[in-house]
Amino acid sequence: MNPKQINKIALIAILLIAFGLPLVIRSATYLHILVLLFFYAYLTTSWNLVGGFAGVLPLGHAAFVGIGAYSSTILFLQYGISPWIGMLVGGVLATFAGVLIGLPTFKMRGAYFALATIAFAEGFRVIVENVDYLGPFKINGPRGLQIPPLDTGLANFLFTTKEPYYYIILIMLIAVLILTYVISRSKLGYYLNAGGEEPEAAMALGVNVARAKLIAMAMSSFLTALAGTFYAQFTLYIHPKSIISLDLSFEIAFIALIGGRGSIAGPILGALLLRPVGDFSRIYFGDTLPGMHLVIFGLVLILVMHYQPRGLQEPLTRLYANLVQRITQKTTGR
Amino acid sequence: MILLEVSGMTKQFGGLRAVDSLDLSIEKGQIFGLIGPNGAGKSTAFNCIAGAFAPTAGVITFNNEKINGQKPWDLCKKGLARTFQIVKPFASKSVLYNVMVASFVTTNSRSVAEEKAIKVLESLSFSDKKDILSGNLTIADRKRLEIARALATEPKLLLLDEVMAGLRPAEVDDMVQVLKTIRDQGTTIFVIEHIMRAIMALSDRIVVIQFGKKIAEGTPKEIANNENVIKAYLGEDYAVA
Repeated sequence: MNPKQINKIALIAILLIAFGLPLVIRSATYLHILVLLFFYAYLTTSWNLVGGFAGVLPLGHAAFVGIGAYSSTILFLQYGISPWIGMLVGGVLATFAGVLIGLPTFKMRGAYFALATIAFAEGFRVIVENVDYLGPFKINGPRGLQIPPLDTGLANFLFTTKEPYYYIILIMLIAVLILTYVISRSKLGYYLNAGGEEPEAAMALGVNVARAKLIAMAMSSFLTALAGTFYAQFTLYIHPKSIISLDLSFEIAFIALIGGRGSIAGPILGALLLRPVGDFSRIYFGDTLPGMHLVIFGLVLILVMHYQPRGLQEPLTRLYANLVQRITQKTTGR
Repeated sequence: MILLEVSGMTKQFGGLRAVDSLDLSIEKGQIFGLIGPNGAGKSTAFNCIAGAFAPTAGVITFNNEKINGQKPWDLCKKGLARTFQIVKPFASKSVLYNVMVASFVTTNSRSVAEEKAIKVLESLSFSDKKDILSGNLTIADRKRLEIARALATEPKLLLLDEVMAGLRPAEVDDMVQVLKTIRDQGTTIFVIEHIMRAIMALSDRIVVIQFGKKIAEGTPKEIANNENVIKAYLGEDYAVA
């Protein structure tokens, strides 16, 4: 076996496990946890297009999740439009919002950019939280919107069991991973990396850094908004505190930083580690120490940044490469 | 044919006039040197020509087109490439990746960009290091990488900002050969350098500036014997010699 074959086999095995899990796990609770795990992996992968490749640290992506969730839910509740269409509308609106934020802020460096994005997302949350109507659209202020689970079925993006949600988010995750892979090997990927690392040198080599970042931001905000619709349809209840909160923006960044920014496997590894930690700390400390999961995330982040500043993906990919090499040597007999 | 013409170029930073109505013109196929004591305004002049700063006054003409205030990435596409005095590699990426960023200027295809990048690396006898992380290179190799990246954009005019500073004498001789080869392949070169041995051996024509103003221009031989230049570098006392 050569390394290419081994990679192929590993990939097929992971896909089989991912698609087969709901056949083994019958508990709705565990399936719910898994769906949220994929949801966060998806969000972080979308975030990674800007936060990883373009080398900036956006901390306001919850705003895009909110735009996606509210757009599709309002269209569904008030006009009976299928959430699948609402999903795309939310995506387009979020793209506009993303470009609007990106235009003035991409010239800022480091913490200034992060602060500007936090300010935008928080402003958006405060608006949504304090008005009941946004023009003709009923958003219900802090009480949020509830989707009655009446006409279930694929057309309405409503299901009585968890399995359909599991497969939808899994397919979304795989799609966004493929997209990331393609971009990372394209001209845009090279330009984003170069502009993120040494903007001056990149510009002198023909890279319009601001333009590359804007394209990445547009894609990232579009994809993030799609996840917002998914979340609304999955939990059937959205309110500003749950989907436009800073907690959500921070959790995405935590997962990315711990897993490894700018790598394809990073967001997945980060979600695999942090989501279960978060869920179990909420189960065991939920009533005595709420918010314990964020403290634990902070500790993990400090440890990872100290020992593996490029995230967990680095030692793990090295481990995997060694393993592949060993298998290659054993099977070819050397 | 004149490839680059600068006339009356001035760059003012607040009260400091870093470049003061500088005139020069570079013929196609020349190696043109720019020298001057520390702080004379050499790098500022480069930054204005390459689009990093817009000049306060004056006209810069490149390939019969006025390029004042155009953005660096547009100038790069028009055939004007530069290196940086303080090298700026994309440190977490391999040498090949670095050069590919540059070779993407003329193509959207990854395989074409890779092919071009490898060709450039081979021409600089650098291809054996293509998979090394650029952050782990020696200073000589980093300078070489700067040149490789600039060359991969297929420039008509190459602006080199002190590519020999910090090199050992043997490495300087190598670099002189490399630059001569690049010129022979049809690229005009505009070079800032402090190492006199190198710039004297390389240049067809040299301009000397001090406090932003041109104080001499001529062939290397003329410059070496110019009284103003000796004064600028060594002080009044040595001027008589």
